[in-house]
Amino acid sequence: MKSLIWMRLAAGASLAAGALVAADVHKPKTPHPAIGDPEAIEAGRKLFSAGCAGCHGLTGEGGRGPKLRDSGMWHSLDDEALFKTIKFGIPNTEMPGSNQPDEKVWQMTAFVKALGSPAIEAPPPGDLRRGEELFWGKGGCGGCHGLRGKGGKYGPDLTNAGGLRSAGFLRESIIDPDADATEAWRKVTLALHEGGVREGLLRNRNNFSVQLQDAQGEIHLVPASRIKSVTLAKSSPMPADYRQRLDRKEIDDLVAFLSRQSVRPAESALARAGR
Amino acid sequence: MRMDRTLAWACALCAAAVAQVKYEDILAGPGANWLTYAGSYSGQRHSPLRQITAANAGSLVPKWTFHIPKANGLRTSPIVYQGMMYVTDSNTMYALDARTGRLVWEYRDTRAKKTGVNRGAAILGDNVYFVTADVHLVALDRRTGAVRWQTKYGEIDKGLFSTAAPLIAKDKVIVGVAGGDTGMRGYVAAINAHTGEELWRTYTIPAKGEPGSETWSDLHDWGGAATWLSGTFDPELNLLYWPTGNPWPDFYGGNRAGDNLYSCSVLALDLDTGKMKWYFQFTPHDTHDWDAQAWPVLVDLPYQGKPRKLMLYGNRNGFYYVLDRVTGQFLHATKLVDNVDWASGIDANGRPVLVPGKDPTPGGTRACPGVMGATNWPSPSFNPATGLLYIMTLEQCDVYTSSAKEPEPAKGFSGGGVGRSKEEPGQYVLRALEPTTGKRVWEYRMNGPVSAWPGTVSTAGGVIFSADDDGHLLALDARTGKVLWRYQMGEVIAASPITYAVDGKQYVSIASATAVWSFGLFEPQPPMSPPPVRVVR
Repeated sequence: MKSLIWMRLAAGASLAAGALVAADVHKPKTPHPAIGDPEAIEAGRKLFSAGCAGCHGLTGEGGRGPKLRDSGMWHSLDDEALFKTIKFGIPNTEMPGSNQPDEKVWQMTAFVKALGSPAIEAPPPGDLRRGEELFWGKGGCGGCHGLRGKGGKYGPDLTNAGGLRSAGFLRESIIDPDADATEAWRKVTLALHEGGVREGLLRNRNNFSVQLQDAQGEIHLVPASRIKSVTLAKSSPMPADYRQRLDRKEIDDLVAFLSRQSVRPAESALARAGR
Repeated sequence: MRMDRTLAWACALCAAAVAQVKYEDILAGPGANWLTYAGSYSGQRHSPLRQITAANAGSLVPKWTFHIPKANGLRTSPIVYQGMMYVTDSNTMYALDARTGRLVWEYRDTRAKKTGVNRGAAILGDNVYFVTADVHLVALDRRTGAVRWQTKYGEIDKGLFSTAAPLIAKDKVIVGVAGGDTGMRGYVAAINAHTGEELWRTYTIPAKGEPGSETWSDLHDWGGAATWLSGTFDPELNLLYWPTGNPWPDFYGGNRAGDNLYSCSVLALDLDTGKMKWYFQFTPHDTHDWDAQAWPVLVDLPYQGKPRKLMLYGNRNGFYYVLDRVTGQFLHATKLVDNVDWASGIDANGRPVLVPGKDPTPGGTRACPGVMGATNWPSPSFNPATGLLYIMTLEQCDVYTSSAKEPEPAKGFSGGGVGRSKEEPGQYVLRALEPTTGKRVWEYRMNGPVSAWPGTVSTAGGVIFSADDDGHLLALDARTGKVLWRYQMGEVIAASPITYAVDGKQYVSIASATAVWSFGLFEPQPPMSPPPVRVVR
């Protein structure tokens, strides 16, 4: 029996067809009670405003310190790591440690976490019915954006907007469409060697091919060998004047509506509390 | 005002009529497109493309590689439609330019409750479909990746998750559920391809009191028989053929006396109703985790002088079967691999003739095949021109132990375990079989670390593509098994290849552990300058 490599695995069938999957199954850790708790987040907001906002901005938009909202940086930190960063700071940088008891550090952690959480998990207040009316009516959003198979195809589909993006990101995208510097979705015109042009919205490009989407939503994959020249719009085709088109309350209502567009229901205590 | 201009511009871009994928397109089988996991409903995984031949396969080169972030052990089999390729990973789908590997869009369900392997996508109309690990079927717009709808068709707290590529049959999406090694109750479900509404569900374990329930003790709700893979479909008979998984606990059968229907079986289900027309159980009362997770390949061939609708089935239990797919009648079985010692053969009714003393025991019992099976999820293929079935097999034995502990579902308990001798690591062998007898025509033995599970694809160019357990993608002569070309991909390969064409050029594509690759014939590249780009306000 010495010569046996024993593989008494928890799932002994782990070499079987599907059982290889079993080991891959993700089991999330139980979060600290403050994470997602509305009261802890509100308490954290006050602490953040007093101690952190000077560098990171009141809503984590960044400034002297890094952007904490949708920055992509702290997404890689789990709750524990974020807690430690706030509590002890980052050595040899301007980021000091917090001089607060653990309970308060957890409240700040919960607030920072909520800043970048999917909007559905930390949905902002607003009149949802009004927001929906604005989406399909005065705001004109549905002319270009889709929701569950309805609406346009000329901009990103928003069916899962609240499940993917934070409320802050959604708000920023409405009032400053070019804040997200990506080229995708900009109008592109290709002059072709064979004559004529092909117009659409850019999905992707490099020196060797361009992928664009036409008005029907159809994708065209065009090799560079066919392209004489590329004309690319500098800015997003989305109107940049929503601050003028809509008043502040209307923007709040629209963000509140979009925040609740999710393919999966909310799970956080914050969302359950209806905030 | 700007919005008005935008809309006016958008309306001015009126494109030609959009070509949707029709059921008839899938029915027609592969050509330039590859529209379903196995290429066709028959599961033959054979393409009529013939640009790559045995004569020129030696000049194949990689055309592109698409690395999938955080991928680990990809199983996805791509589908291709009009130059767009769709590949999946855990809770994620990518749409790629099939000529260049450039990403067009991606969809990521970041809030799924589980992660796990995913075997691929399906396509119909303007929708592409895939399952999330936590048992949701997702319909996305094939062009934009926009969510059309998402339907939950199972509960993870019932021990379920999902891995299979959905199968489109007429206007239905057929899906299954995984998880049979830690307690669950398997089923096949049909979902309306347009609305996401569940139309029928057929359980693979009868409920208490139903016919077949007497083949279990009290494990009806947790006995496994998962549906890890999708199946094949006969449109004339309107029958789906679906493989089922092992009974649970995997290695101890003391608390599930009986045959444990319909585990380790293939089920023939009416597409319209889900009603079972017939079943065939390969391994009654399995105690070695030899589920039937392999592909039922459908062929119409003369059998003993008469034309017959056949099903070819290489099984994990070590035997190769030929069934009549109209009635489920057992016709023939023979050893698929040399190392089979738990049964001396298959009797006239298709039942294994057991060799005593091969059940797992607390102290360990050596039995062959090993727990990975004589074959497994990798796709076999059938080439009508050579008349041969190509199937990946594994020569291996294991020492199986059992535990009579009271089974507790969803706790990782499988009723025992498996050990393997260092002196007997096993060997993968790609085999070409005469389909009605299972007689070996040629075989290709591999000498890697015995860790892989690549499938096959057959082409009219007389070339079979597969891979070995040392990271090589292989092109083999369909008639002789000679290696025509190889490419070291540098990773474990546990997926099945496909072939497709764009702009008149044939490609072969396969996923390695972390990336999707595409290969084609070498072409000299003329000098080029990138087109000028002008950015305007």
